[in-house]
Amino acid sequence: MRRSLNRREFIRLAGLIAASTGVAGCASVYDRLAPAPGSWTPWPIAGSSTFSHLNRMTYGPRSEERAAADDAGIEAWIEEQLAPESLDDPGADLRLRRFTTLDLPSDVLADLSDRIFDNVDRFTVPDQLRQATLIRQVYSRRQLLEVMVEFWTDHFNISVEKGDCFFLKTVDDREVIRRHALGNFGELLWASAHSPAMLVYLDNQSNRKGSPNENYARELMELHSLGVSGGYTQADVMELARCLTGWTVKEHFWRGEFTFNSQFHDAGPKRVLGEAIDPLGQIEAERVLDVLSIHPSTAHFIAAKLARRFIAEDPPPGLVDLVAGVFKQTNGDIRSVLRALLMNGLEFVQPKFKRPSHFVVSALRILNARTDGGEAIQRYLKRMGQPYFAWPTPDGYPDRSEAWSGNLLPRWQFAYDLAHGALSHTTVDLPGLVQAAGPGDPASLVDRMSTLLLGQPLPPTTKRALLDSVERAGAIDDEGTPSLLLAAILASPAFQWR
Amino acid sequence: MSQTITRRSFLQSGTLLAGASLLPRWMPRLAFSPPGYGPRGDVLISVFLRGAADVLNMVVPHGDDAYYKLRPTLGIPRPDDRRAEPSSRTLDLDGFFGLHPKLSPLVGAWQTGQLAIVHACGAPDESRSHFKAMELMERGVEDERGPASGWIGRHLATLETGNASPFRAVALGEIPQRSLSGAVPVTALRSIADFHLAGDPQALAKMQAALNSLYSGIDAVSGIGQETLRILDALQATDPLSYNSATDPAYPESDFGLGLRQIAILIKAEVGLEVAAIDLGGWDTHFAQGGSVGQMAELMWDLASGLAAFHADLRDLADRLTVVVMSEFGRRAAENGSLGTDHGHGSLMILLGGHVRGGKIHGTWPGLAEGKLVGPGDLAVTTDYRDVLGEVCLRRLGNPALGEIFPGFQVTLHDLVT
Repeated sequence: MRRSLNRREFIRLAGLIAASTGVAGCASVYDRLAPAPGSWTPWPIAGSSTFSHLNRMTYGPRSEERAAADDAGIEAWIEEQLAPESLDDPGADLRLRRFTTLDLPSDVLADLSDRIFDNVDRFTVPDQLRQATLIRQVYSRRQLLEVMVEFWTDHFNISVEKGDCFFLKTVDDREVIRRHALGNFGELLWASAHSPAMLVYLDNQSNRKGSPNENYARELMELHSLGVSGGYTQADVMELARCLTGWTVKEHFWRGEFTFNSQFHDAGPKRVLGEAIDPLGQIEAERVLDVLSIHPSTAHFIAAKLARRFIAEDPPPGLVDLVAGVFKQTNGDIRSVLRALLMNGLEFVQPKFKRPSHFVVSALRILNARTDGGEAIQRYLKRMGQPYFAWPTPDGYPDRSEAWSGNLLPRWQFAYDLAHGALSHTTVDLPGLVQAAGPGDPASLVDRMSTLLLGQPLPPTTKRALLDSVERAGAIDDEGTPSLLLAAILASPAFQWR
Repeated sequence: MSQTITRRSFLQSGTLLAGASLLPRWMPRLAFSPPGYGPRGDVLISVFLRGAADVLNMVVPHGDDAYYKLRPTLGIPRPDDRRAEPSSRTLDLDGFFGLHPKLSPLVGAWQTGQLAIVHACGAPDESRSHFKAMELMERGVEDERGPASGWIGRHLATLETGNASPFRAVALGEIPQRSLSGAVPVTALRSIADFHLAGDPQALAKMQAALNSLYSGIDAVSGIGQETLRILDALQATDPLSYNSATDPAYPESDFGLGLRQIAILIKAEVGLEVAAIDLGGWDTHFAQGGSVGQMAELMWDLASGLAAFHADLRDLADRLTVVVMSEFGRRAAENGSLGTDHGHGSLMILLGGHVRGGKIHGTWPGLAEGKLVGPGDLAVTTDYRDVLGEVCLRRLGNPALGEIFPGFQVTLHDLVT
């Protein structure tokens, strides 16, 4: 039986979605019901290493998160974040209610995307996913989970610009990435391999016996598991591609669901990574997935990649070995791996240039901004080079500082716009911020704001030079000064690093 | 009617272009080329086709019988194949090779001797990994142990031109190309018209003053900040909107066309541009790549019409320009079962400019017959890509420091440029 909606249900749903996207700009009922993003009381104190550590595990720590981690200790904070299901999250949950396509099955998404319906078009589904992603990054208390969702989103990169991925990615995000982000790596790899979005993105949906398509087989080993130096050969790629023949996606009924088509499967004997694979249909590639998911090369590759994301561009080899060891011992238990990485690695933290997502979201979070996550923000992410779910190649957005540091101008403009209230549907309560910072002259305001945003005050000479230069460019007046100083700190080199 | 572009029609379209591409009104004010440049060579435009372009369908070896056996569906018909639509046939170049029909905009430059092709060209790396191959190629190194900087970055670092312009090296797009990384700060630029800060003029003046003070350090990011500010200063006296209104119909309406147009403006404005890097992505055609028409044909049209427009736009300056087009590797000689091609080895490079020994296919053709292919059935590499880049550096950019640009590699000259 077809699970698709009948016509009346469909029209009702489409109407709801049209209504929800039509008013995407205005604060919805849910946004008003949701708890306020946070407060600046107590104003954070300078000098604690908590800030830089939290900056790795969150999208920029809010004041109360800093206070909580200071009180309980960073280890307790990590444990709490490793059990996200124990954290109530009404701030994100309520705000996500207006994104009506997030929970829909693929065939309904396909139906919906095929028909032009009031405000519903081909962009509705990916746009909602992008907005929801930003809302979660800003408002969710489960910050480590969200950081890991972005990590795996890059690791198992899928661009919504490719074919049906524009709606299938919503299912992949829900069923693969988010479901397993803190679970078991083998299950994550398995889910990704059965994900229609991945099979479409890397062309396996057309991989058939006789002349296989190597694209997915190669990236499965090179990017998803073993790593390019992980010990596989071109012959392994070709043999794994043969195992994966027939792994495809339904096109008509139940469109967008995974299926194994035995007619297209190459039933001959195969050999992958030195092991003979008996002809067992779908199970052949699944056996290889099991081998890949706990392979020592995979353990090392994932450990190194996580260490690069969380700790340093060139993490200490000893740390990577230790984390890889935990990966092997626990058969890829992601919580255990992360625990080992964070508990042992935070002391080795080196500055990393913020990726655009981190730059934008850290500003919004620390400033307790209200945002709909909509067009104004998404446009900036694009200008900075990181529009969500749109990196074309399967390696995911770069994680090297150097890739991002050459594009400062859109960051400066964002800093200016956010501080001057020039972003539509994204606001900072600047008077409230100034009041919470307490009375004082511009110099003390710079101290207070840089402690909030950078973890510590600007060095005195930098602060003096900043104030002098601003004064020379025109009189400092009470009205414009807080905006300008806020914009300057957000645009400063120090705020570009985490 | 034949779609072959004759020399005459090409020149005519070039003339039409000239009228439309008059310098924007604000341009003379932008021309602040500082005095005291050292001697320097051509402006280098480095074009990277990301995703491993299928070069066998770009410059088609129609004289090699094996090609049509390997490509029963995807092969581009011979120039004289009467069963094929004339518009879908290979455009013959020399009796053995021909251009894909969607590369027809390049025929004019070929005929005037300003476009050359180095076929079966590439890198020794046989990983068939996009990311490893791109990285090694952009760094210009043999393996991971080489320097982390890019080959263009090292070229700029080793060539003292006295050029302090913030436009010395420009990366088109949002993320600077790896090849540019090195001693010189590189700013990403998508569009000149959009390269400004918007807001209240008084507040912006203070903002810019604050940025000047905050980015006064000596670290790499401060260097990029200073460069960005200097570009802002250089463009601030101008009216980018007047540029926006001057639309040039010859450039394709694509990111690639937009990027080439920005490069042309910077060159004409003489702001000190030495190197521009630009990408054209989407060449990873495992699935439904198409033949004479289709996915890859559209990309080729974007490439060729963009380059032809650029070449026509700057025809008076052709003697001072060298365009180099490359990709990380080629694709499997035999088509796969998805009407596409998998990762291969040998690629090609295109050179365009006034001092290119053009109208010629350079390099040794290894052939596509069984026994000639390498690995799982790929075109062999007979010319190292560093030979091509090295010769351009030496002869056109005036940089003899090839040992530093391509460490551990002995560049062989092939007389590709004069």
